[in-house]
Amino acid sequence: MGVDSEIVRLEGVTKEFPLGFGRRRRVLHGIGFSVRRGEIFGFVGPNGAGKTTTLKILLGLIHPTSGSARVLGHDVRETEFRRHIGFLPENPTFYDYLSGGEFLDFYGRLSGLERSERRRRVEMVLEWVGLTHARELRLRAYSKGMLQRLGIAQALIGDPQVVFLDEPMSGLDPIGRKEVRDLILRLRAEGKTVFMNTHILPDVELLCDRVAILVEGRLRYLGSAEGVLADAEQEADLVVTGLPPELGERLAARFPTRAEGTGERLELRVPRKDVGSVLAEVLRDGGEVISVAPQRASLESIFLSAVAGGKAAGGKA
Amino acid sequence: MRALPATHAIARNTVREALRSRLLYTLVFFAVLLIGSSALLATLSYVERERILQDIGLSAIRLMGAIIAVFVGVGLIHREVERRTVYTILSKPVSRTAFVVGKFAGLAATLWLMVGIMGLAFAAVSLVSGAPLGWGHLAALALTCVELALLVAVATLFSSFTTPTLASAFSLGVYLLGHLVRDLRDLGAASDSELAERVTAGLYLVLPDLEAFDLVIPAVHGLAIPPGEVAMGALYGFGYAALVLVLAAFVFERRDLR
Ligand SMILES: Nc1ncnc2c1ncn2[C@@H]1O[C@H](COP(=O)(O)OP(=O)(O)OP(=O)(O)O)[C@@H](O)[C@H]1O
Ligand SMILES: [Mg+2]
Repeated sequence: MGVDSEIVRLEGVTKEFPLGFGRRRRVLHGIGFSVRRGEIFGFVGPNGAGKTTTLKILLGLIHPTSGSARVLGHDVRETEFRRHIGFLPENPTFYDYLSGGEFLDFYGRLSGLERSERRRRVEMVLEWVGLTHARELRLRAYSKGMLQRLGIAQALIGDPQVVFLDEPMSGLDPIGRKEVRDLILRLRAEGKTVFMNTHILPDVELLCDRVAILVEGRLRYLGSAEGVLADAEQEADLVVTGLPPELGERLAARFPTRAEGTGERLELRVPRKDVGSVLAEVLRDGGEVISVAPQRASLESIFLSAVAGGKAAGGKA
Repeated sequence: MRALPATHAIARNTVREALRSRLLYTLVFFAVLLIGSSALLATLSYVERERILQDIGLSAIRLMGAIIAVFVGVGLIHREVERRTVYTILSKPVSRTAFVVGKFAGLAATLWLMVGIMGLAFAAVSLVSGAPLGWGHLAALALTCVELALLVAVATLFSSFTTPTLASAFSLGVYLLGHLVRDLRDLGAASDSELAERVTAGLYLVLPDLEAFDLVIPAVHGLAIPPGEVAMGALYGFGYAALVLVLAAFVFERRDLR
């Protein structure tokens, strides 16, 4: 893969925050990955994993303790290349005395757009995020979801090559989410690169080409979104009854991922490869099989097992 | 230079925000009130009526301007970081230096506008009271503008790394010492202690000499004010402000915005 197609490149990035009295807390432990041109990259992880911290490093807002961060081939401390990036921060806040139109015009100026271009882009992005009707309204009077939409509009005002979105769906109603999903797909269709932090795993499955799973400041998975699912162990849910108690306990201990009930009725989640042997054991000891339901591996279960410190779905990190 | 339009846009937005500040209007209102009542106060005296009137007026403009410069200035950068508007601003092709300079320029321009308004009130009261108006008064107001720009730069510097409370304490300290350093230096020079002389001379070098911008007495007494003196004052003030801004940009550049 050529360097040209690398939109984002992080290498061995660590970040420590001072806690006061000379003590420090390390929140990123040497993470590295790259994002390729034209892809939608999902950055997921539990609360406090360090996603926002990583994004702030990529935007040059905070400086890494060690390691390097490059965007569009530039050191993130440079300024000019930012003409080609857009950023939606987590829970954005803006100047509440401006109207939506004035605000976007201001940000268009900051992006270096000329007057006529600015006028055109303001109309365009307002329409994209469904805020054309609120152009003259002061931001003080915007709802949370409207501010989130305006935040997205602001990120897109300069026609960026890459957009960084920190939880783009936050505060949006179902229609808003659908619209933002469509917008993200449209950006990709135009050849833009999208980097998004999110908690919404179905969105990742729906949108992302590749994902990284970050847990406690360490990368636990990095690869294609489909790869995560394909690599994951396939599983099945079994429901059985009439087991001798000792067999029930033995099975529950062997498959702790999901084992509910004991003796009389047991629900178990077991890997596909073990289904046959478990069923044979149950039948041999006089148990009865109620149901066998194959489970489609979901990003959620992979996420949960990555967080639990289990083997991260076979992915490399 | 690419940075100019961005700096200009930030300065404009800063003016717009500053003009919404209640503190600003309250102080300007009081200044105008003082200027107006100076005409009444002056009637209490039989001698030097016009001088008393103009002394009160020009001093009120300087003092209110300084209070605005410090108390609005200390929140200038801190607020943008606190409410996180700085995240999106700096995600655009805007350097942190351009941001700091834009914030500074916005508040300085606002203060100059306020000095203009207070200056008009001063001129109106002077005319009504039959006090003379001339180049001296203009020069005094011009150097007040320079002093205020310097104070905004100082407040911006403190605002770039600490809370408004601490920043106002520091800025007020600089303001008070800035009015004393000249006397301190002269005292030190006259003293027998070499240490005292060195320390006061050092202070004079490091701190801004705000007395250099005080033309109130010569203006009010109609003394000659050579244009060269005004130019030197402006050069000194803007030069000092520029150095302080460079320092502010340097500090802000290195900060984690979290
Ligand atoms: N300014 C700071 N000072 C000290 N610690 C911080 C600071 N900012 C973040 N942290 C810590 O760094 C860790 C990562 O925070 P971060 O905001 O990056 O998490 P996140 O993955 O974005 O979480 P969320 O999903 O809740 O948004 C957290 O443990 C947080 O407490
Ligand atoms: Mg976050």
